[in-house]
Amino acid sequence: MAMTIDVEKLGGNPPVTVIALTGELDASNYEQVIDIVRDAYADGSRGLVLDLEQLTFMASSGLFALHSAVRIMRGETPPDPEEGWGALHEMAQDPDAQASNVRLAAAQEPIARVLDRTGMLRLFPLDDTRAVAVAVIQGA
Amino acid sequence: MTEAKRAIRVPALVDRLSEVRSFVRDAVAEFGGSKRVADDLVQACDEATCNVMLHGYQGGPGDIDIEASMHDQKIEIRILDRGPTFDPTAAPVPARPEGAPPEPTRPGGMGLGIELLRTLTDEVHHSARPDGGNELTLVRSIDGPAEED
Repeated sequence: MAMTIDVEKLGGNPPVTVIALTGELDASNYEQVIDIVRDAYADGSRGLVLDLEQLTFMASSGLFALHSAVRIMRGETPPDPEEGWGALHEMAQDPDAQASNVRLAAAQEPIARVLDRTGMLRLFPLDDTRAVAVAVIQGA
Repeated sequence: MTEAKRAIRVPALVDRLSEVRSFVRDAVAEFGGSKRVADDLVQACDEATCNVMLHGYQGGPGDIDIEASMHDQKIEIRILDRGPTFDPTAAPVPARPEGAPPEPTRPGGMGLGIELLRTLTDEVHHSARPDGGNELTLVRSIDGPAEED
């Protein structure tokens, strides 16, 4: 099953982009997600919600895309796939990491399990719905 | 004792990973495994197969055979290639603070993958095929989780 990506740009303060993923996120398509996040940041978005309600599978390449999204939305250079994930450790130790402006919403149980068992839930707040995630970022 | 068996062959291209996942999911269902067992084996097989697709043939073309079988209440997934010998189970796993995320070396690299494989399965074995290539075997009991939740 391929993955489809729907992008919605919201106004407000800060401007938030919601990326809804449908299908399966794997090594064949994770770079599309990174590209869209990069475009959103360049276009002025300073908050990002990844709506995972319709995502049925996430490979470790998808985790790499999530990590890249955090870096991009912090205004940093996304990690080079060949460079390694050393920065992930630094993020995990960063007390501000949990206050990230990148939030995940509505993950199905298998996806939440992958995030949990790889330690990624320490880095990515997980909300029940995209509306909640947007509201948290915008302080509503 | 009857033994069920299924097999597919795919080229080593990441856009064929979805086919591999469907194969594993269907096989586990046929063997009577739960959705949880299917989810875990799909994840494990995706990681292992992706690694072969990205690195196994060092950029060249090649095929990957995947066989699923069940015997004595254990599901066994074998992933076979003809690439240079590489044992992911022997790759060093970097030490990390308790609870800290693992560090994948790169997407599809086995830094994260091998840790996931061990979490998702009961056993992971590698052997070099006598006539060249690798055989990676993932074993999972059909009626229990690989880890305690």
